[in-house]
Amino acid sequence: MSNNFFEIKNVDFKIGNKVKVKNVSFSIENEGDIICLLGPSGIGKTTILRTIAGLENINKGSIALKGKTLSSEKINIEPENRNISLAFQENSLFPHYSIKKNILLGAERNEIKKSKSINFEELIDLLDISQILDKFPHEISAGEAQRASLARSLITQPDLLLLDEPLSNVDQSFKEEIQEKLKKVLKNSKTTTIIVTHDSYEAFYLGSKCGIILNQELKQFDDPYNVYHLPNSEEVVNFLNRGILIPAEVTSPKSLENKDLGTITGNFVKPFPIGSNVKLLIQPEDLHHDDGSNLKFEVIDRKFRGTNFIYTLKTPTNTLIPVFVHSHHIHQHEVDEKFGIKRPIHIDHIVCF
Amino acid sequence: MKFNSWFVSSFLISLIVLIPVITVFASFFEATSNYYEILKNTFLIEYIFNSLTLLLSVLLLTFMIGTGTAYLVSFYEFPGSNFFKWALILSFAVPPYIYAYSLTAFFENYGTAFTILKNLFGEANYNKNIPKFDGMFGAILSISFSLYAYVYILARASFLYQSQNLIDLGKNLGFSRFKSFFKVILPAARPAIVAGLSLVAMETLAEFGAVDFFSINTLTTGIYNSWIYFDDLAFANRISFFLLLFIFSLFILENLSRRRAKYHFNSKGGFKQKEKIKLFGIEAYLAFGFCFFIFFVSFLFPLSQMLYWTIKFPENLFDLKITNLILNTLYLVLLSSLVLIIFSLISNYGNRVSNNKTLNFLSTLSISGYAIPGVILAIAFITFIAWFDDSIIKSFGFSSIKKIFIGSVFGLVLVYFIRFYSLAFNGIKSGYEKMNISVDESAYLLGYSKRKTFTNIHLPFLRNSLLFIIILISLEIIRELPITLILRPFNFETLATTAYISASEDLLEAAAVPSLFLILIASLFIIVTSKYILRENHE
Repeated sequence: MSNNFFEIKNVDFKIGNKVKVKNVSFSIENEGDIICLLGPSGIGKTTILRTIAGLENINKGSIALKGKTLSSEKINIEPENRNISLAFQENSLFPHYSIKKNILLGAERNEIKKSKSINFEELIDLLDISQILDKFPHEISAGEAQRASLARSLITQPDLLLLDEPLSNVDQSFKEEIQEKLKKVLKNSKTTTIIVTHDSYEAFYLGSKCGIILNQELKQFDDPYNVYHLPNSEEVVNFLNRGILIPAEVTSPKSLENKDLGTITGNFVKPFPIGSNVKLLIQPEDLHHDDGSNLKFEVIDRKFRGTNFIYTLKTPTNTLIPVFVHSHHIHQHEVDEKFGIKRPIHIDHIVCF
Repeated sequence: MKFNSWFVSSFLISLIVLIPVITVFASFFEATSNYYEILKNTFLIEYIFNSLTLLLSVLLLTFMIGTGTAYLVSFYEFPGSNFFKWALILSFAVPPYIYAYSLTAFFENYGTAFTILKNLFGEANYNKNIPKFDGMFGAILSISFSLYAYVYILARASFLYQSQNLIDLGKNLGFSRFKSFFKVILPAARPAIVAGLSLVAMETLAEFGAVDFFSINTLTTGIYNSWIYFDDLAFANRISFFLLLFIFSLFILENLSRRRAKYHFNSKGGFKQKEKIKLFGIEAYLAFGFCFFIFFVSFLFPLSQMLYWTIKFPENLFDLKITNLILNTLYLVLLSSLVLIIFSLISNYGNRVSNNKTLNFLSTLSISGYAIPGVILAIAFITFIAWFDDSIIKSFGFSSIKKIFIGSVFGLVLVYFIRFYSLAFNGIKSGYEKMNISVDESAYLLGYSKRKTFTNIHLPFLRNSLLFIIILISLEIIRELPITLILRPFNFETLATTAYISASEDLLEAAAVPSLFLILIASLFIIVTSKYILRENHE
């Protein structure tokens, strides 16, 4: 038996007879770790959480928490006996109780267990819901309901907390603040958490590990930096949508050649034989702007992102390349102007497929 | 498929409710007496013709009254409009048969109208100048004034949820008030009105008391007569088969309309509560006059007639042992409500936790009981018990079980159960539909067992719905006539049966006492629930 705090081994996640995600294995090593599952809507992320919570059965593989099997082909511990809490994406507050009563019902569960001590006032303050405590679920907004539901789940102090798109209805302006506070309270209370989201920035910020679910499979399970910079498949690249794949030929153990960009040097994440044709991942941060360079391409789009601009450049072979430029950069380029790329091009970690 | 205890209990409940339907269909091919041959060539056409005449006339009248009053109280403010919006549903408290007694009592020769004229203008032969509302016309009026509230309630709910935007759109297109009503308001409320009319149609085809009193031969009275007078159960079932086919098409129509009607209630986005238009002068008087006329004719008139006779012939109060009648009626109401609520809760909860498609299908079938006329249910029940007793029980050498089921409170409650199961089941279902399944799951995840979830979460949440359903069932059972008449134990009378028996013995004065108490108790129930019936909390 492994020493992992939580472990999923070869599980097919399904709703009824329909398999949503196949042969999933991952683990959470230590109590208090936070992991995020990332994937497009409808892919089966919620099904995974529901199954871990015991609301769906499995007939292949096993799910274990603190060394105890919760679900397998033969075992299925009832949801009420798992000490796992799930905050649903939709409003699942008890409609006939006030928000305060709803949250305190959660506190009843682990009354004896005071060691982790998430207290009521702290949570109310954290999630900024003091003004709705006496209201009923039908009297509050979707975002407020989601925060109240989150408070109820947190206060149960479960062995494992499952959050399904916990901040999807929260206002953008408020989101980052709540993310910060949420991370702090989870870390302080050492609450082991699995968060499902389709927002990659949220996942990268909150999770110490991220799982990418695509096409019925867990494609990658790694720390956020690796998921972003070292994606392990073309599907992950396409899903994260933070770069493009361009054709190139491997010319040495440390270089490639592309028709538009010329020679690119760097360290291959995975070695390829010299002479092989590959698809090279170019992310916006990989190329640098240089007005003095003779490698110039036409600007066809410019997106302002506050801290930076992302330019989309069109090469002579009609490839569209994204380039990151700090928004305080001395001067900006308009659409149809020429935009220079610094040479020689060097990329620390070369990702090819 | 999971065969857990919830599945089995829900399955059994559905099966019990389906027995009468299966019996009617199975009996269709059985041999009947000569009465069928005689009837087929003579009266059957008359039965069908009368049923259709009654149906179409009642539909027309209830549409005009129900939609007209609903339109006035939903869109306009005039003297008494707030009172009429709930007072107009009081007509539910007067069953068609009691309305029929009132009509006859008032307009018959030397009746109440005659007495009033005599007191006002002295002795004269007024009889020839007093119109007679009997026969088919009397039956149409009695049923229409009693049932228009179905159309009123549903049309009003639909009008209420019509957004101001829709009305504004009509104005923007330059429509007059008249044109707006016919081009915008009425078409938008059509599904709700059709749903109301379908309920009226089912009740009209099932109506027994009033048509029997006016001696109109319809399919329903035909069924009753072939059983009572010709002792031909098979033939009764054969007419029932025709009637059921007709009613099921209405039932399907009603269900389809109701499904579409939902869209008009779910207008969350862009919904703007409309402001009522204040009427002045002659318009205000006309609106008040129309609503008051309907309220008077449908409720005050039968109530006063019954009250007048009760006061005029107080001896009936004592002769009829009215306390016993009230207690018997309330006993049946309490017992049936309890049984219906318990089993409907089991069935609904079973459906919710097992989420089984077969079970859902069975439940949908089993709610059809409400569409089946009481006469058919009672006779099909007797047919089934007789068959079961003869073919199964006796063949195993056991003694007859007929006495347990026929002419017993147990049998009566069982058939009430079949008839009103859909009311209870659907009421609880719509309560449950307001609660997302993730609420249950949240409870499990908070450590609640299924039982604790049911008692601590479901029951408190459903409390108001349950109260409403109990009162609705009570209202139906107080008014119910044919099932009680056919299946009641010997010497066990209710307010409804006593009124019917007295009236059929031409003792209308005696029928007045139980009728009055029936109206009063039913009115009380209606007043208590009017808030729910009118969806007032959404206003």
